[in-house]
Amino acid sequence: MFRFFRQKVLLPEPLLKAERSLNRKAQCAICLRFFHAEHTCQNSRDLPVVHHKKYVCDLPPNHRFPMGKFPKVLQCLLKDQVITETQVWVPLLASDEMLGSVHTQEYLSNFITGKTDEKEQRRTGFTWSSGLVQRCRYETGGTVLAAQVALQRGLACSTAGGTHHAFPSYGSGFCLLNDLAVAAKHLLTESRIKRRILIVDLDVHQGDGTAFIFKDEPDVFTFSMHCGKNFPLRKQCSDLDVSLDDGMEDKEYLSTLQAHLPWLLDVFRPDLVLYDAGVDPHWEDELGRLRLTDQGLFERDQYVLKSVVKKGIPVATVIGGGYSRDVDRLALRHSIVHRAAAKVWKEYVT
Amino acid sequence: MDVSSDEADDWFMESLHMYKDLHVFQLEHPTKVIEWTSEKSVCVAGYSSPKNEILELLLPLKLYAGDKQGLCPERDFKVQHGGFCDEPVECLRHIFGKSNRCVVTSGHNSSKLQVWDLGEDDSDVIKRTGVINLERTSAEGRKIASGLTEDPSVLHGCQINDVQLIELASGKVLYAVGTDSLDAVSGLQFVNANEFVICANNGTLYVGDTRHPRIEQYALQASVTRSRWSFGLKTNLPQSDLASCTVSRLSSCGQVLLSDFRKMSSPVGEAQLNLQHSFPSSDFMTVTWAPALDNFLSVSGLDGTVLVFDTTRWTTDLKNPEPIFVHRGHHFSCEAKTDGTPLVVTTHVWHPWRPRTLLSAASDGSIHVWDWVDKENNSL
Repeated sequence: MFRFFRQKVLLPEPLLKAERSLNRKAQCAICLRFFHAEHTCQNSRDLPVVHHKKYVCDLPPNHRFPMGKFPKVLQCLLKDQVITETQVWVPLLASDEMLGSVHTQEYLSNFITGKTDEKEQRRTGFTWSSGLVQRCRYETGGTVLAAQVALQRGLACSTAGGTHHAFPSYGSGFCLLNDLAVAAKHLLTESRIKRRILIVDLDVHQGDGTAFIFKDEPDVFTFSMHCGKNFPLRKQCSDLDVSLDDGMEDKEYLSTLQAHLPWLLDVFRPDLVLYDAGVDPHWEDELGRLRLTDQGLFERDQYVLKSVVKKGIPVATVIGGGYSRDVDRLALRHSIVHRAAAKVWKEYVT
Repeated sequence: MDVSSDEADDWFMESLHMYKDLHVFQLEHPTKVIEWTSEKSVCVAGYSSPKNEILELLLPLKLYAGDKQGLCPERDFKVQHGGFCDEPVECLRHIFGKSNRCVVTSGHNSSKLQVWDLGEDDSDVIKRTGVINLERTSAEGRKIASGLTEDPSVLHGCQINDVQLIELASGKVLYAVGTDSLDAVSGLQFVNANEFVICANNGTLYVGDTRHPRIEQYALQASVTRSRWSFGLKTNLPQSDLASCTVSRLSSCGQVLLSDFRKMSSPVGEAQLNLQHSFPSSDFMTVTWAPALDNFLSVSGLDGTVLVFDTTRWTTDLKNPEPIFVHRGHHFSCEAKTDGTPLVVTTHVWHPWRPRTLLSAASDGSIHVWDWVDKENNSL
């Protein structure tokens, strides 16, 4: 069985000596300085799950965006004893500086202060509120933290994230800030070591925002496998786009993925994979036009995670898109990636 | 149709809040008829080529799943039965009565009516079971209405003086209109088992009773030249009292008149719609009343949209009322084929009992079923 060797955080020499003489509380503080976190689980040996209770905000009744799914994803994982509270890491709000590495100053300023105009807001599917701004910033912070923890531990999963339709200067399709882009940019610049990041986006909608942001960035590879006829109809160019026909089912979907992922990992040789495990390819999804089953999603997620982890590459997951008026069923579907990750963690990481 | 993909994306995001449900289907060839054949199925037929398909479509079952939508897989229309017609289908009606699986069609440039059996579960074929040969050929197709008697019968005509009621089983002429008016028929409909209304192309309404050949005539007050008229009756089918019916008439100039049979001398409501083209093709004009929303009226055929109005808001001074809802979806059907001609909605119908559900078809072959959100009353 392959054993994953835990990567150590590279602390400079004097700090290492100091660390030995500090008590545990202070060690946590050091941990917090390196991780973008309000709370860390450095003594946990279990799959790191990243969640913030402020991933949600109030929306008008009958709003089509299933905001309630975020806390429900965590709840069903806890209830089914897939995870416990002791492995839940809590992110910090993404800072202006962090967001500024992807988004324009003008957009950020308008977005944070509520000055985006009505037409811009209509394209996002949301009416502005300060609660909305806050939840997006926590969500982005969550993806950043998941990426950092993945680098250290090998695997980490957020209970939100995947806002891939956000462009530098505008939001679109229920996405206001591009969390995957912000996380990738942060990790590219945070370390003195040059890193290559692969974004595997299996949400049923093309990751157009992310594709646009990294089109000229050689150290970030964007791979999107999506349904051609789904939103957005105006497509960007990812580094690799695989456009699927309506109605595709489990078997063909998985074999299409198997035709691309292995060579991509071998040729690009990423130092980190960010995986958008959107569940909208599911046949029950209200907006997606594919026909995957629960089992199909599980096999997909397991395949991606195993392929990456077996090569010794760390991977952070986000839940991506899913649209259903039955939020309980949807949350359960989103938790499939966490269950697959827990299985992979047990088999390959611990 | 040159809608950019970016505009289509904008509309898609807006549609998520404008509609509670929206399902889109692409027919190989466009239809100008949609006729309910059961609570969950409709019949459509081609008009654009010599050989045309008649299809019975099952609506997406997701539409009926209510709160349990998550448990219902079917988001697509399904073809249940199909058959071929040797002529372009201008008019198609589901016939009321014992058999319940019978439709009658009339064709373009044709002097016959064709009778079809939609078939049961054991077969997916729509079979022709009979032909009614008539004397006169009609370029635009004879207008048809279903009789409301137990024994299936059909009322048809292309000019007022040749309107007849025919018993389907025997082909016997049960009734013929006693007038020599040569006005072209735009539409006809039974109000109850005996009384019926005919609308002529020039907007004149005729009211008759199959128990006697005499027919009452109500011409339009001011003549609007070069206009063609269509009508829509508001009834409580199948047994209405004529006096309780309101009739709407739509002209190819975009004028809408609402009249009450108790007082035909002047309209009870009037509106002028803004038209994009000066003389739109009048082939597709459709005006209908909502069965489950009092005083709601819908109009299509003047362009690529369906307009829904609350006629209680029509005042005598403000003649250009704002619609409560506009369905623009046909402009954004991403699969639509276009041959350069402007897109037009060919027909629309309301669901028999779901308050805000409609079906609409367009000249590009798209067919939509949609349930719109009434933002003003904030109901879903």
